[in-house]
Amino acid sequence: MATTSKQYKNIGEDLWKGRAEKINAELFALTYGALVVQLLQDYEDYAEVNKQLEKMGYNIGTRLIEDFLAKSAIGRCADFREVGEVVSKVGFKSFLNITPSITHGVAPPPPSPKPDGGASTTQASAGSTFTLTLDENPLAEFVELPEEVLEGGLWFSNVLCGVIRGALEMVVIHFAQLSPSLKTNSSRQVQMQVQVDFISDVLRGDESTEIRVKLVKYLEEEVPIGDD
Amino acid sequence: MNAVAFISPQNHPILIRTFAKQDEHTIKYHYIAHTSLDVIEERVNTGGKAAECYLGLLYSMEDVAVYGYITPLKVKIVVALALSDSVVKDVEISMIFKALHMAYYSAISNPFLKLDFPTEVAQDHSPYLLVGSPKWRNFRERVDEISRIVGNTSHAVSIP
Repeated sequence: MATTSKQYKNIGEDLWKGRAEKINAELFALTYGALVVQLLQDYEDYAEVNKQLEKMGYNIGTRLIEDFLAKSAIGRCADFREVGEVVSKVGFKSFLNITPSITHGVAPPPPSPKPDGGASTTQASAGSTFTLTLDENPLAEFVELPEEVLEGGLWFSNVLCGVIRGALEMVVIHFAQLSPSLKTNSSRQVQMQVQVDFISDVLRGDESTEIRVKLVKYLEEEVPIGDD
Repeated sequence: MNAVAFISPQNHPILIRTFAKQDEHTIKYHYIAHTSLDVIEERVNTGGKAAECYLGLLYSMEDVAVYGYITPLKVKIVVALALSDSVVKDVEISMIFKALHMAYYSAISNPFLKLDFPTEVAQDHSPYLLVGSPKWRNFRERVDEISRIVGNTSHAVSIP
């Protein structure tokens, strides 16, 4: 039942078109810009501002995911790779009308299944990453960073990292897990703890704008669906 | 295109970029900008309520034709074009001004302009004056890009 990449793109496109309320892009960019500059004036510390932006994003993300899951018909994702696909093709598209390209990181190879079940399977996927490359960034429409801000290490769009982190923490992945010892499959519902960072940003003179999402660990809640 | 000048509502220069050959005196374009201001003021005052941004040909002297444009917030843009045999259409100049206006608009929309003056109240619209400083490269690059494009097109026109 794997949803293809193209299908995700179509879902994203439909969601975006279906939204009755859109906001003027310039207004959005100017609002966010004013916010960042105000934070810089208040905190006067670039690392702190990065942290605050991420925190704000986290709060937004935990709420946004509700809206997203309600409006989209996205079923449960099978694995972290699929999560990445949905985030880039449906998530970003439906809220910001951009589709970042995605590069999946190589996860460490899973060990052979052990009799005690899938704990090792899920652990092995921890450390997986995907990287989103944004060709365009609606937040940074008019922005030019002055010298001292560049040197200070500000990630202007850091709110996006927080949004992804907050949203994914609320999402449940449904693992269908083969367990030789049980007659039927049990499924684990797990939520994800991720670490999201900017790797590069064209505002800082880099060649591209990239966000890396790394799976730190699964937060488990095992729900066996089969009878034992 | 030989030169572009952006002038504030209080008649302070924001940015003056010249693209003429090296042996021409760039100070000449400061003088041109000043003269243009007088002509623009005249045009605007006699124009009455007609809120037209594009002012057309202001005057011509020696080897340049000078065109003017005034934004709704009274920022003046002056363009000096080298006179040539080829006919330059009004609508083309108007397009050039729109591009320059948009470049200016993008530059002043940069939220980080405000950081330069944390304590000053924005009297005399000082943030808008500093947008022309060398510190903000993007604005200059966009103006240069526009002039390059204009240079390329008019080149194509004047070659028989």
